[in-house]
Amino acid sequence: MTDAVDAFVAGFIVLSAVVGVVTYVTLLERKFAARMQSRIGPYRVGPHGLLQPIADALKLLMKEDIVPRLADRVVYNLAPIVFLIPGMLIFATIPFAPGLGVADLNIGILFFLAVSAMEIVGLFMAGWGSNNKYALLSAMRAVNQIISYDLPFIFTALVPVLLAGSLRLSDIATAQAGLWFVFYPVIGQLAFAAFIITTLAAENRVPFDILEAESELVAGFRVEYSGMKFALIQLGEYAHMVGTSFLGALLFLGAWAGPGPAWLGPVWFLLKAMGVFLLVTWVRWSFVRIRVDQILAISWKLLLPLSLLLLMATALVVVLRSGPGV
Amino acid sequence: MTLEPLAFWALSALLVGSALAVVLTKNLFHSVLYLALALTGTAGIFLALEAEFLAAVQLLLYAGGVVTIVVFAIVVTERLVGERITQTSRQIVSGVVVAGGVLIGVLTFIARAPLPATRPPLVADVTQAIGQLLFSRFVLPFELLAVLFLAALLGATYFARPDE
Repeated sequence: MTDAVDAFVAGFIVLSAVVGVVTYVTLLERKFAARMQSRIGPYRVGPHGLLQPIADALKLLMKEDIVPRLADRVVYNLAPIVFLIPGMLIFATIPFAPGLGVADLNIGILFFLAVSAMEIVGLFMAGWGSNNKYALLSAMRAVNQIISYDLPFIFTALVPVLLAGSLRLSDIATAQAGLWFVFYPVIGQLAFAAFIITTLAAENRVPFDILEAESELVAGFRVEYSGMKFALIQLGEYAHMVGTSFLGALLFLGAWAGPGPAWLGPVWFLLKAMGVFLLVTWVRWSFVRIRVDQILAISWKLLLPLSLLLLMATALVVVLRSGPGV
Repeated sequence: MTLEPLAFWALSALLVGSALAVVLTKNLFHSVLYLALALTGTAGIFLALEAEFLAAVQLLLYAGGVVTIVVFAIVVTERLVGERITQTSRQIVSGVVVAGGVLIGVLTFIARAPLPATRPPLVADVTQAIGQLLFSRFVLPFELLAVLFLAALLGATYFARPDE
């Protein structure tokens, strides 16, 4: 029974940390975007706007909860929760330092990919349950996009798996002790670039944000949500984003490796994950939205064959080196 | 180990309940959501039996993939074309008879087989074992499956081609 209690406590700590980090990531993004556009960003609430996320949360807590009259009530109310759960669960397998994590499964990365793919269920529940044509169109586009981008995303995430010869996330991290996979000649850089592109698509960020294209669909699948339910959807989305950033830092940037004593490991990991997050945000605020058909064409005609080729090339390299995994 | 039977029975109840709901709900969209719940429950049972690889694949392919495609089909036909589809179960009596027959068959089979009271512990890495078996003993079925999928892919492309 103590194992169960330990797991419960560990889960509670990680969940609280995740909610804290995710809340402040919104501020980081707003500040970063503001600087890119020669603005200051949130500045009024607290020193340098540091209390802004808390003010936002309080505002959303006190807002009226509106349910559309013709909505599918049960589906509509459950959707934010179903959307949030995968966003939180993906943190379960991430080791934040050697031996420090909730569950270091031997199929860690597969669990991550499987659970993060479940997010779409909550998304189309929201889109359908709202009984709003914009929300429905948005959910449709999301389904389209997920079907197209899941495969290249999985293939690029498998490149580090092949190089490390293990599906366990902590093994992948320790395999990079000598050389971070992003510095692996040719394969590493290509895989990292493909990972960033597919991450943008998986998180529905500009230039792949057709599902919440403000000019056509108002706010996409969350258009009918208000108050705390809206906050839950936002939380789920940002949690997913932060989780994928952690995955990127773990797969390509050596996770907790860094100078200084070992206890600095989680700090390095967090900094690297934030680096990946800022890279994605940088792309988001620099590019324009591309059309639906272009998005699908990029995935099926370019990314999928290329990521498959990359995966086969990686397998060939691993076999020729007859390194780990053989 | 004390939590395992509890998890099993809870997941089984969830699985049977949601599976019944899939066939008994009138609303087609709700039926798909129950299907997603049932598939997730199955993954949970795999997880409780330490078959983590199977659980992850179950989530990735069925709950993530198949359900998504079914939803896609429903949304395209019902909301965008505007035709309302409700699920009708006219064959409910014969369905119950067949399902009951299968249940009795399975139960008698289980009752005859001597089952160990406790599950033997897993010794090797299941994921590794699956990978090695797929590329040694079961390589022929594996490759045949690939050919089958290729044929399906080509067929889908043929039907989806633009009219000349």
